[in-house]
Amino acid sequence: MTSLGLAWRSTKRYRVRAVLAVIGVAIIGALLFDMLLLSRGLLDSFADLLSSSGFDIRIVGSEGVPIVRFPIDGSTRLAADLRALPEVRDVVLIRVERATAQVNGRTPRDVTLVGTTQTGGGPWTIVKGTNLPSASSSSDRCLMLIARRLAAALGVVPGSVVDLSVRPAGIASALPAIACRAVGVVNFAFAATDEDSVATTMIALQDALGLQAADADLVLVASRPAVGSAAAVRAIERLRPDLRVYSNEDVIAQFNQNGFAYFRQISLVLSALTMTFAFLLVATLLTVSVNQRLGEIAALRALGIRRARIASMLLWESALLVGGGGLLALPLGGLLALALDHILRQMPGLPERLHFFVFNWRAVTTHLVVFGMTAAAAAAYPVWLTARLPIAETLRREVVG
Amino acid sequence: MIGRALRATLIALFLGAAAASAADSPSSAQPPGVLLSRQLAARARVSVGDVVTLAVDANGARGMMVRVAGIYEPTPDPMRFTAQRLEAHMHLPDLAALVADSADPAARELASAINVKLVDAHDAGPFASELAARAPGVIVRPTSRTRDDDPFAVLDRFHVAISAVTVVGATAFLLALMVIRAEERRDTIAILRLIGISRRSLLTAVAIEGLLIAVMGAIFGVIVAVATESLVNGVFQARYDTALVFVRVTRSIAVRSIAIALPLGLAAGIGASWPLLRGQILSLFRR
Repeated sequence: MTSLGLAWRSTKRYRVRAVLAVIGVAIIGALLFDMLLLSRGLLDSFADLLSSSGFDIRIVGSEGVPIVRFPIDGSTRLAADLRALPEVRDVVLIRVERATAQVNGRTPRDVTLVGTTQTGGGPWTIVKGTNLPSASSSSDRCLMLIARRLAAALGVVPGSVVDLSVRPAGIASALPAIACRAVGVVNFAFAATDEDSVATTMIALQDALGLQAADADLVLVASRPAVGSAAAVRAIERLRPDLRVYSNEDVIAQFNQNGFAYFRQISLVLSALTMTFAFLLVATLLTVSVNQRLGEIAALRALGIRRARIASMLLWESALLVGGGGLLALPLGGLLALALDHILRQMPGLPERLHFFVFNWRAVTTHLVVFGMTAAAAAAYPVWLTARLPIAETLRREVVG
Repeated sequence: MIGRALRATLIALFLGAAAASAADSPSSAQPPGVLLSRQLAARARVSVGDVVTLAVDANGARGMMVRVAGIYEPTPDPMRFTAQRLEAHMHLPDLAALVADSADPAARELASAINVKLVDAHDAGPFASELAARAPGVIVRPTSRTRDDDPFAVLDRFHVAISAVTVVGATAFLLALMVIRAEERRDTIAILRLIGISRRSLLTAVAIEGLLIAVMGAIFGVIVAVATESLVNGVFQARYDTALVFVRVTRSIAVRSIAIALPLGLAAGIGASWPLLRGQILSLFRR
């Protein structure tokens, strides 16, 4: 009989403890797997979110990428200059303002109003209706896209008219409302789950602000693929040294350094703790189990089964417990990740599409490697114990005992 | 004089006459006083009494000479614990003199926020509504967070969920160990039952044993947590150069841990021994 066969028989013989050990390893393993997913999940999700917009460079007027941005002087001219750069493929101007939305004289609702030059698609998914048309193709002065949740709350469908009043931050304002026609109900990629957003054209936003020309507070730039974002960033910095220019990689690096640090640390600490925990418990289980079976092992040795084979049997026993639990941990960890992700996504202000736990094969590989090492380490002491086992003395003690 | 330029956050406080001794008044003959955060003072290698240039621009233009009146430890902020706290506090008139455009008389009105302490904190809601109605455009927010918009309430739920999973995993392991232990004592239990000791007595003994193991385990866990508390805090405080306390083992946490461990230990002890106690005596001798 092979070592695996012997190990399997031992496991079957003590099936209650084996099942409990596998369950324990599976639960701890699920936690480890989740921590591995968490260690990069938010970063991967954030990178995915940024790249989904189709733009790889962000230009703002102040340092960092703060929540409150300042308008960029002469942004329309800047857009024209950027389009003239050979490194640049596309440019979009964006301005965000606080506003109220009112339908049929009902109670107004605070909204985030996004003005954009991007038409025919953007960082949103159409649920109902159509995209913002290009300025020249519509006779309406103000067309808008409305977030699904807000549309449901206000009873807005494509074709409904919504009165928008801009309320610029920090300024006493009595700007009149402008009537905007909703053309589409959308899910905004960057909007928080609890945020009510609407998007309109920059021209409509200028009208709402009562300005001849409204400066953008964010400029999105798509670099030419052949050139790459780094070269485009350098070209833009040469063009306007007073502005802050960030590639997606810069933003992600900044996020990794600041916003993501807590989750990276906690995943590292919990991964280390769970593995230590799993190692200690499996090693204890195996050691106690071996101590209980010393007579049996001595008898096997007396029958001529070599030390190496006994050691191999114990390694297989450890592998069956840890391996079985480790494999079960993957689907269990997936389910647990959904629950934990649901909890963490209740954080205020998070974009709806951002996730903390994102599946990646690297996490699966690391999980399996770590479990393999744990199985080997947990079996080390019992193997050492059986290798030093005095056969005759043990058998005598078993018989006399 | 600071040899190299450092970018710092300037926070101006209008402290009023009574509190003006914290930093020198701008009207005194010597340069106005500023308070520097410990981190900024260390980075700039300045100490109390040094006269330095504080400038709006990195090249030193639009600057003024100030005297370091004191060095302070910034109030730990869990929302910003990864940020470098390079900060300086100065009187609002001094900040106005530093940053405001002298050609624009309105430029000296530069307070970006006003903190208001209400007589009754419960009036925050009505006060905010009234102020918003009287001063359109002003954003009024209470400084205390509600449970719904507090990210730490979410983190708390996350930690509780992880703890619950860990407890379930640990219970499975404890049960496995108790099963092994019960199996080891199969013959002993058989003999005890054979000489007439009741199942109830044996069950009580097993329950007490499980309880004792759980109590000892929980107390050991609390001791380990308390012993490693300062280590964890030390590592993270050094890593982020902050006075923020990351881990605190409170009495309520210790009591909660023990309260959770006791019934689990009890249940594991009884659950593992129950198959041996409920069966026929002869079956314990494998007959």
